[in-house]
Amino acid sequence: MRRKAGVGAIQKQKLEQEKYRDKGTEIQENQFEQMTKQMETFRVNLEEFASKYKNEIKKNARFRRQFTEMCASIGVDPLASGKGFWSVLGIGDFYYELAVQIVEVCMATNYKNGGLISLDELRTRLIQARGRRKEHQEITNEDLLAAAKKLRIFGNGFSIVPIGRGKHLVQSVPGELSMDHTAVLQQASLSGNAYISKSTLCKELKWEPGRTQKALDHMVKEGLAWLDEQGENETLYWFPSLFTACIVSKE
Amino acid sequence: MAEIEWPWQYSFPPFFTLQPHSDTRAKQLAAWKSLILEYYRITKQAIVDIREVHSSPLFNNSAINRILFRQDNGKLSSEAILLILEELAKSGNASPLDKTKQRWLIYWHTLEEW
Repeated sequence: MRRKAGVGAIQKQKLEQEKYRDKGTEIQENQFEQMTKQMETFRVNLEEFASKYKNEIKKNARFRRQFTEMCASIGVDPLASGKGFWSVLGIGDFYYELAVQIVEVCMATNYKNGGLISLDELRTRLIQARGRRKEHQEITNEDLLAAAKKLRIFGNGFSIVPIGRGKHLVQSVPGELSMDHTAVLQQASLSGNAYISKSTLCKELKWEPGRTQKALDHMVKEGLAWLDEQGENETLYWFPSLFTACIVSKE
Repeated sequence: MAEIEWPWQYSFPPFFTLQPHSDTRAKQLAAWKSLILEYYRITKQAIVDIREVHSSPLFNNSAINRILFRQDNGKLSSEAILLILEELAKSGNASPLDKTKQRWLIYWHTLEEW
């Protein structure tokens, strides 16, 4: 029969545990100190790097992408805060500025497209609005996506709707876009026209007419689609956000 | 005659169908109003005769085969045009010339502005 652990044994155990804990904190502190040192050198290096390449990041789209890809692979978000030391590179400022401009363009165009704008149109308008100097002009669609994704922090005002073939729509009003509505937009975009009809949708997506009608009615209700009763056989639903003349018009 | 620069809506087919959604319809009517004023100013016309408008390129875009608010019988709906003219009258840009509202006077500028 085993004896129960006596008081002496318990105290011994306690002592051992305390020793372990002391050692643990010691090791932790050591590591922490080392980390702080490493971070410090890292910061110095980064500052050097920044002073050397700051302009390059602002002006060269490819360089910018490579830099953000590198950050992503080591698990750092250079855009997370304006106070992070990544911001010495001005990369944050670049994207925040871009985000503000995206909001402005979306506000300026939502009277005609119902708050839905294609990434290409957004880019064209942004480039028009920014100065003529060359470094203001080099914005890629990736930059726009990165900036627009950050806008989501402010709540569900902005979202990005992928519509196939690498194209995106940026939605700037908090209306609900379900999977069904996204599918409708995708079909309209894939067809290469700015419109879609009920029968095409039923055929392509193998949907019930009722479901199709419901999705289309919603798009009309949100002001995203316009009805055209003068089509060949049936009602056509047009999307100004996909309509070329609307996209390139200067208004 | 000076060429008019058509707005993007003019080549947008649903522009010629009265929109059921109220917000969209408001945008549509506003765009029609400014298009009509612009067109009459540039072509230097002042009188709309509802019986003749179907021959006007303003309301009949043959390039995309759309006529303003065409009805099922293929005829132009005079109600649709009346709707827009009434809108114009509200802002002081138009007034009927006779009691049957078949002929309208279009003011490029409102009377106050003149």
